Amino acid sequence: MDKTSKISRFLDPELLASLSNLEIKARTVVEGMIEGQHKSPFKGFNVEFSEYRQYVPGDPLKDIDWKVYGRTDKFYIKEHEQETNLSGYMILDTSGSMSYKGAGSMSKLDYASTLAASLSYLMLKQQDSVGLLTFADGISKIIRPRTGIAHLKTICNELDNIKATEKTNIGESLDVVGQTMKKRGIFVMFSDLMDDADIIINKLRQLKSRRHEIVLYHILDADEIRFPFDDMTIFKDLEDKSEITTDAFSLRNEYLNRIRQMINTFRSALRKSGIDYLLANTSMPLEASIRSFFTRRQAILER
Amino acid sequence: MNFASPWFLLGLFGIAVPIWLHLYFKKTPVIKDFPSLRLIMKSVEYLSRQKKIRNLLLMALRIILLFLAVMALARPFIGQSAGAGVSSSAPTAFVILLDNSMSMGSTYQGVSVFNTARARALDILEQMNPSDKATVGFVNEPGGLVFPQLTWDKEALRQSISNAKLTSAGTDIASALLPALELLVPLNGYRRTIYVVTDMTESAWKPFVERYDLERIDKGIDLVMVPVGGTTPENMAVTGLETEASVVMLGRKIPLKVTVANYTNKKQTAKISISINGERRIGSEVEIEANSEKICSLDCSFSKTGMNHLEASIQNDAMPSDDQRHLAVRVFEPCKILLVKPENAGNTENNDDIFIKFALNPLNRSKENIFVVESRLTSEITNVEPSNYSAVILLNQRHLPENFIKKLSDYMLAGGNIITFLGDRVEPDWYNKHLSDNLGGGYLLPARIFKRVGNSVSKSVGYQLTDIDIGHPAFSIFGKDGNGDPSRAKIYEFFQVRPNPTAMLLCRMSHGLPGIIEEKRGRGRSLLVTFTADNKWSDWPIKPTWLPFLHQALIAMVTANDLTINGARPGMPISATITANKEEKVILKHPDGKQESIDNLTAGKGIIHFTTRNTELPGYYELIVGNKLISAFAVNPPPEESYLARINLRKIPRFIPLEQEVGKGKTVKEKVTILRDGYDMSGLAIWLLIILALVESFFANKPIEKKAPNAI
Repeated sequence: MDKTSKISRFLDPELLASLSNLEIKARTVVEGMIEGQHKSPFKGFNVEFSEYRQYVPGDPLKDIDWKVYGRTDKFYIKEHEQETNLSGYMILDTSGSMSYKGAGSMSKLDYASTLAASLSYLMLKQQDSVGLLTFADGISKIIRPRTGIAHLKTICNELDNIKATEKTNIGESLDVVGQTMKKRGIFVMFSDLMDDADIIINKLRQLKSRRHEIVLYHILDADEIRFPFDDMTIFKDLEDKSEITTDAFSLRNEYLNRIRQMINTFRSALRKSGIDYLLANTSMPLEASIRSFFTRRQAILER
Repeated sequence: MNFASPWFLLGLFGIAVPIWLHLYFKKTPVIKDFPSLRLIMKSVEYLSRQKKIRNLLLMALRIILLFLAVMALARPFIGQSAGAGVSSSAPTAFVILLDNSMSMGSTYQGVSVFNTARARALDILEQMNPSDKATVGFVNEPGGLVFPQLTWDKEALRQSISNAKLTSAGTDIASALLPALELLVPLNGYRRTIYVVTDMTESAWKPFVERYDLERIDKGIDLVMVPVGGTTPENMAVTGLETEASVVMLGRKIPLKVTVANYTNKKQTAKISISINGERRIGSEVEIEANSEKICSLDCSFSKTGMNHLEASIQNDAMPSDDQRHLAVRVFEPCKILLVKPENAGNTENNDDIFIKFALNPLNRSKENIFVVESRLTSEITNVEPSNYSAVILLNQRHLPENFIKKLSDYMLAGGNIITFLGDRVEPDWYNKHLSDNLGGGYLLPARIFKRVGNSVSKSVGYQLTDIDIGHPAFSIFGKDGNGDPSRAKIYEFFQVRPNPTAMLLCRMSHGLPGIIEEKRGRGRSLLVTFTADNKWSDWPIKPTWLPFLHQALIAMVTANDLTINGARPGMPISATITANKEEKVILKHPDGKQESIDNLTAGKGIIHFTTRNTELPGYYELIVGNKLISAFAVNPPPEESYLARINLRKIPRFIPLEQEVGKGKTVKEKVTILRDGYDMSGLAIWLLIILALVESFFANKPIEKKAPNAI
């Protein structure tokens, strides 16, 4: 498979064309070296004027607008905002459970990879820098963020080579992410969250406390959401290969209650912490999943 | 092989249900990879816990199934009475006591309560098995058992119930229950039951329960109450009828007391009608408060001497038999009293009789007075015939002519009455000899006379009358407050006497000696007053109690020989003595006109004693001797039977209620069977077994499900 076909596998041209008019506008301003369409959280000179504010002790004296002082006898600080570029990190769960493929055409991992590539492309196209991080039992691979559309090939090559076989340890992996990714940016995480919910939520909150913007795609297969099994079934775990024989029909309602409970737990806990939670069903069109990302981001930025 | 209940075999189809359920739910496991068993494991753990509870429930269900299976095979019977505890195969000895008292004559929902009771009794009898024995009794007055011994003859028992008649008698539960118990107590090998079919009137049951300790009855004997009737019917009744006058005189107005009871919950108007000898005389309306009685006073007069039939009635209601009441009234012509006063002393007129004459007939009227007094000197009585008088009063006589003494003796034996007042002329020896000893035992005096006691001249000591016999008619009037006290009279002098052995002492002097003595001789009576009839020896004749004493004493003597039967109740045996010869035919005429010849007589000298039990009908009975109406009496229903309120069954210990439950499909027949044998629980056990087996099969095979959540 040549490089073009690898890219196109993940970047459906029709899909990307339909999204070309959408602007990714991060809610919070991140620092960046390259001017772009994103608002920088840092104010300074030589940049566009933002607002005046009263001087408070501790403010550097060089920022005082003396002209205003001359007119009003009061100290005002002149603030500016700077147009900067955005660093995006695509964090992908590659544990064994992500390899599950139900009745749909894509496994959870394929679906997550496609989403990651699509978002990467869009960010790169806007002169933002994008990096990739994969994890399972720990961090598997890190690609540092870079700008330029050529970097997309690197990301897509890596995505294409991912094999989902290992067990999940999301908590530990997020610890490593926090330690590794010092620079503020937007983290887009793709995972089925098959680990202890409290640990995951705590680790994501810790990441958030470091002023990272976090978007979490909860990738689930339609089988996991609907549990369409009726028979006496031997279920095999894709991660630890354990088995359990049970009557799926009698189990169904209890399972659906629990998965619903799990989704609600993540949704409410993460949103309370300012983390975007997006449920992605692999049977949903990719376009819908990406649109839900932008719709959500748009809503946050307009607050 | 036979099946007693082959329709139970339908339950075998139930076997197919568990098999089908098993096959339906049985599946071959399929292998399925799944992202993570984390949630599945948790769900399975939760369901396992649920399953554990279900398994425990299933185990309990299976234990119950086993228990039911054993019970079904063992055929348990529950709910049978204590009497059934002897042995399930033991025969039954039972007594059906049917209440046929007057209160059963009321109607409930248009049906006679008594007819209902008979039907219930027949229902009970229907359950009699060939090895059972029974008898029937009636709970009325006099009540008793129809068959004094238990019998196997079911047809005879049925006939006795079918032919049972409603009476106007009162309820006497003990009259039949006690003989029934006597029959059943020794029969330890039998299941023993007494059924009482009754309307449970409180007036009958309450005294019975208070009198008898029912808890002491053999516990092996079932006492079963079969109540009939329903809510207490509204009833009014004439519960009392009497004349206020002790003697009813011809043509003289006498007050009547009519008691009318209103046993309803609202004020009622009673239309009282008084009839004499079938002719309506008086009509009156009276309002009576709810649940109360009212005594109405009405005046009436009689135009015929001898026996008269007085009837008081009100309008008919729920129980017509108590809406009238009868009274036999003897109407007298004025009583002729002969006073024999002593000869005048010299030219002085004798006034010994003045107080008596004044007391008995103060205006000396010949009509409309109870007494007509005729006063004669001793010398004038030789040719007087005592039998022309109701009573002869001897006043302070010294001697009496021999032929008059003989006449007096015959007179008294034939029913005449003699009152003797003593005084200063009396010679005790002559009295004892001529009025007692010479008569060869046929003495006229009730006592022998001795010496005089006290001093009427100095009047130093005034004796009082003590130990007065208030029960005697002569003094009974003084038993009521306000009617005076004879003991306030002073007796200054009197004769010491010794009463004959058969004499009655009506009072004593205050130091203990006899004062007034009475003795019955033949059909007559002799009364001896030990002091004078004037105020020489006593101040009693000027006291207010003198007149009523004389009146009452004479009336009691005059009417003593009347057939006075008061308060006769239906079914009550009547026993009386009348003046008649043995050869004469004695007929009792019943209220319905039926004439009964009375043969069971014991006769004496011109006296006939008879007894009859044929008094079931309430009404006026006439006693005819030789085509002549001699006497009469009235039979009335017991007033308590008119009060139809039912007693609460809880107030009757030991009795098990057995009531026909309309609309619930529980007849008396079925209940009798249940009481005797109990409920056969095997059928119920089998059905429960089948149902629970199906339930068990369903739950054992059904997966544990929870309600599906809403879509995610």
